[in-house]
Amino acid sequence: MRKKISNNELMQKLFHLPTFLVLTAITLFPIIYSIYISFFGYTLSKPGSEKQFVGFQNFINIFSDAGFWNSMLVTVKFVFGVTVVQVVFGLVIALILNSIVKGKKILTSLVMVPMMVAPLIVGLMYSFILNPQFGLYTFFIDYFNLPLTISPLSSATSALIVMMITDIWEWTPFMVLMILAALQSVPVSPYEAAMIDGATEFQTLRYITLPLIKPVILVATILRAMEAFKEFDKPYILTGGGPGAATEVIDMFTYREAFINFNFSYAAALSLVLFILLLAGGILYGRLIMEQEK
Amino acid sequence: MNINKKRVFKNILAYTFIILFLAITLTPYFWLIVTSFKTRMDAFTIPPKLIFTPTFDNYRTAFLDKGFLSNFKNSLIVAIFSTFFSMVVGLPSAYAFSRFPMKGDHFLYFYLLATRFTPVIVLALPLYMIMSKFHLLNTFTGIIIAHTAFNLAFVVWMMKGFFDAVPAEIDDASRVDGCSRLGTFLRMAIPLTINGLAATTIFCAINSWNEFLMALILTGHFTATLPVAIPGLLTPQGTFWGQIAAVGSVITIPVLVLSIVVQKYMIKGMTFGAVKG
Repeated sequence: MRKKISNNELMQKLFHLPTFLVLTAITLFPIIYSIYISFFGYTLSKPGSEKQFVGFQNFINIFSDAGFWNSMLVTVKFVFGVTVVQVVFGLVIALILNSIVKGKKILTSLVMVPMMVAPLIVGLMYSFILNPQFGLYTFFIDYFNLPLTISPLSSATSALIVMMITDIWEWTPFMVLMILAALQSVPVSPYEAAMIDGATEFQTLRYITLPLIKPVILVATILRAMEAFKEFDKPYILTGGGPGAATEVIDMFTYREAFINFNFSYAAALSLVLFILLLAGGILYGRLIMEQEK
Repeated sequence: MNINKKRVFKNILAYTFIILFLAITLTPYFWLIVTSFKTRMDAFTIPPKLIFTPTFDNYRTAFLDKGFLSNFKNSLIVAIFSTFFSMVVGLPSAYAFSRFPMKGDHFLYFYLLATRFTPVIVLALPLYMIMSKFHLLNTFTGIIIAHTAFNLAFVVWMMKGFFDAVPAEIDDASRVDGCSRLGTFLRMAIPLTINGLAATTIFCAINSWNEFLMALILTGHFTATLPVAIPGLLTPQGTFWGQIAAVGSVITIPVLVLSIVVQKYMIKGMTFGAVKG
């Protein structure tokens, strides 16, 4: 009997083995390797620098690097801007979609389209629309004489706004889907009670619907904020981080240090800082899921 | 009667709003597809042309003359193999999470979640250096290994949910009939979750197909996937918008078709099980 149990336990561990072997080799090991590199002064421009031990100097340098703080600020603005707009738009569109009876499925499929388009193509698409000679955007502002700039990508503020619009375009559908799923699983009884009590529609929304779907909105917001923090493809192709460094989000900044300036050790230290930030977000998210499962 | 009228009015308002919203959001994408069928002349006229003679020239030039056909093959190879490997590696673990709860589950679960949230950029540099030591840069093996690992957490979590939905009694019955644990897993659990298996496979393939940053770093001239090759059409001599539109359509249309098939499972997959779709 005892032998059988230990056999079972071995079997159970064997089922987990492949996954955790691969994850250790491809995610944990590279992160440990990054920690190792980050203590050196390894940069391609200085031969022999890979053996030059510098201690915590790379980490100290990050915090006095104006480029780093600029990209952090850009990223925070970007993440905050897109998440707030996506929640508001997502809520409005989901509420309206939920009130529709006929054709809901096909309309939901159509709403979903942007989030299935590869992010790189989203960036290219906007680049095409904003083309100053023949872009649709240019045509519309000309046609309606709108008081908008003809080349929004050439000034710092408007370039960041364009970046945000591309992300809002792509990911509002995600919020819609999440909130729609939540709306479809709310119980009927509180609504019946509200109707009997003669609550107005706004009151029902404010005091019944919103509290009921709040947990889902919270989960979706954290998830979206974390994804937005990792933005790379769209600015890479659309603005290249410019003008200047106005749209250089943190992923682009790290990419530039690693693969354009070849400051390997510095980039490794940067990526570790990012990892810790995202891990904190991940823990928060994990906690929320656990609470909801209870 | 009055209430009925009000309801009809509200319904019309709702449809108008949604259709207006769709018109605004889908126009940019629709424009990309339309442009892919235009000649250079038609694409660049102002005001924009809606009626024109469609042509496949952009597709022919991009895929046959400029070699995007081989990038298309590369994308397929990477997507198919990485999906296959992440399923083979991840399925047993998903089954174990569902069927044999153990003390260490909490830790393993956290480990999975952490890898799911690790940004690609964090792994890009160390993986690049490690792959270069093993001579895996610009090989299919390198990028397939990377994509396999990125999809693993997703496979395990999605499939755990589908295995959970299969009653445990079925496992017990099969065990009584003399099937081993492995046999039960292979012959009972997997065939019973075939829908979930299909949905998870599609999601993995889409993730790999759309992925850009890792492919940009790990692939080279002979292994570049479609997203990696596209920026090559933005040249200092000019941008080949018609061809970009053609390649963009080829990248996105199959994904859109597949996404309709798996729409039902979309939410569950994207939230790591936090929201049931």
